[in-house]
Amino acid sequence: MWQIEFQDVGMRFGARQIFAGLTQTIKGGSITAVTGANGSGKSTCLRLAGHLLRPTAGQVVVTQDGQELRRAALRQALGMVTPELRFYPRFTARENMAFLLGLRGQSLDDAAYAASLARVGLQPEAVAHTYTGEFSTGMRQRLKLAVLFLSGADIWLLDEPGANLDAAGRTMVLEAARQAADAGKLVLIATNDAREEAAADATIHL
Amino acid sequence: MRAKVLHILTAVLTAAVLFLVFFVVPPAQGLGYYVRLAFFHIPVAWVSVLAFLLSAWWALQVLRRHDMHADRLSAVSAQLGFIFTLLSTVSGAVFSRLTWGSFWNWDPRQTTIFVLLLIYGAYLTLRAAMPEPERRARVTAVYALFSCLTVPFLVFIIPRFYFSLHPQPVINSSGHIDMDPVMLATLIAALAAMTLIYWGLLQHRVIALERKAGDNA
Amino acid sequence: MQPSTFKGVRLVCRKEFSLGLREPAAWGAMFMFALTTLACISMSLAGAGLEPKLAAALLWVSLFFASLAGADRGFADEDLARTLPVLRLYGPAQAVLFGKAAYTLLVLVVLAVFIVPLYLILVDVTVTAPLVLVLTLALGLWGIAMTGTLLGALATGATVNHGLVAILMLPLVLPVFLPAIALTAGAFGGAAAATSYLVGMGLYDAVLSVGASVLFDYLWYED
Repeated sequence: MWQIEFQDVGMRFGARQIFAGLTQTIKGGSITAVTGANGSGKSTCLRLAGHLLRPTAGQVVVTQDGQELRRAALRQALGMVTPELRFYPRFTARENMAFLLGLRGQSLDDAAYAASLARVGLQPEAVAHTYTGEFSTGMRQRLKLAVLFLSGADIWLLDEPGANLDAAGRTMVLEAARQAADAGKLVLIATNDAREEAAADATIHL
Repeated sequence: MRAKVLHILTAVLTAAVLFLVFFVVPPAQGLGYYVRLAFFHIPVAWVSVLAFLLSAWWALQVLRRHDMHADRLSAVSAQLGFIFTLLSTVSGAVFSRLTWGSFWNWDPRQTTIFVLLLIYGAYLTLRAAMPEPERRARVTAVYALFSCLTVPFLVFIIPRFYFSLHPQPVINSSGHIDMDPVMLATLIAALAAMTLIYWGLLQHRVIALERKAGDNA
Repeated sequence: MQPSTFKGVRLVCRKEFSLGLREPAAWGAMFMFALTTLACISMSLAGAGLEPKLAAALLWVSLFFASLAGADRGFADEDLARTLPVLRLYGPAQAVLFGKAAYTLLVLVVLAVFIVPLYLILVDVTVTAPLVLVLTLALGLWGIAMTGTLLGALATGATVNHGLVAILMLPLVLPVFLPAIALTAGAFGGAAAATSYLVGMGLYDAVLSVGASVLFDYLWYED
């Protein structure tokens, strides 16, 4: 059972206070949405949840079956789809995938590669010989999702995952999130999209 | 209250040292009254090294506990260390000119203090180039500790590469103290006074920074 | 499942290598920079014969400046391409640090293979102890590669980038620099330096590597 606990968390960048006194428990096995206006700290909230940023006040505790996870062990369990992630522009999709998964100790065979492309709706012949630097924004978004699905990560931090995707793509994302939650994973979605918000089991409004 | 006692103690001790240096200490053999400069030069050089080691110590606290107070102590200690190192380099050069005839000789201790100046300069440049406080604290702490690794090697290597003009250390390997007792007492008092001056300035600067940070919150 | 660090190091190093091959311009710039440094020094000497000590000092000055074009690129390039977030997400700290350091060392070795023979020809020095020279170069470059990699990581996110790594690097490589010059002078027919200097350099390189390994964790993980 995965759980992320925000304990009286405050975040400030210089003189700009993003939020203060945030206390929430996010549970695995369900989808939690983070909503709020632009600049309310949705993306910051996700980065705090994954310990990619330290709060200026309070603390964020990530546990698996009551056992606290930090540093490398936590990083290993993390999967993210956010606008700030960029692939190596001079690698093809497959090279990027093989490298990133390899860092997690996973190998990528032909079958898994083909299946994941099909799952996120990328055309194999369109991406085989193209560097990701030449991808469209939508294709990059799909590739981020493909790496997330393959990584088998247990904590999903999704920042506007439906952005730049067509209607079918958005549906695919929501179905995948639901499947992951049913499998016990912790899914946290920062969004302003009504459909994504409606799909969530719980909502944190900033 | 404690700060006040410390300030008074510093002032009294400094006055006593000045009195001793100018009215009591006899001219040294071969150096004459130039020896007076030594009571400034040696304490300043001592504080340069002390400030560096303390800065690294506080850097360790920054990494272990994400302690922003330790970050301020570490930074201010480095700033003061830089100034003390400059004073020590300049007073050393003047002393060198008066006694050995030239300002700079690449004597081992001159070289060491020069390397220290480079490290302080690099640390402060890095600090100035980092806009975000959290990252700045961490990055400069890493640099302070990383540069600390050079210390034992430089202490070992430099004397082998540069010929020394400095007198034997006061307390040499035979354990025999080679100094007039009045001079030794004065030197110890001067070291204590300079350390207290450093400590007073450190506290003063850190409190000022803390107040400024508090206003921003 | 914890991935093996050794495999990770190899993976990162290989990735740097394949990306490096796809940026021939970067290599060209690096070699031209090295050549420029070398030209600066050898042309200003204008064929004057050099004492072994001076020849050794100038060789290391050229190597230091030439390596600045390549030693800190590991993280600077990622920062420029904005790929650091993805590497931070997937890459374990030690694999990233040592993978990048290994690649940097490789680049520096290639650079030295290019510079050193040219230097020997241009300033006309004879090598009397080639083995000492090779060992000194290897240990010196290891120190520069390790320091450059960690400092490159430190310098990402700085507002002033130009020359920052050079400023940070000099005091840290002095303990390899000074014995390297003495040893090289010996290899050029000057007074032979004690071989204990080689041991000293190796020891310092090892201390730097362990130190960098411990400290890098604090840069890579926020908690």
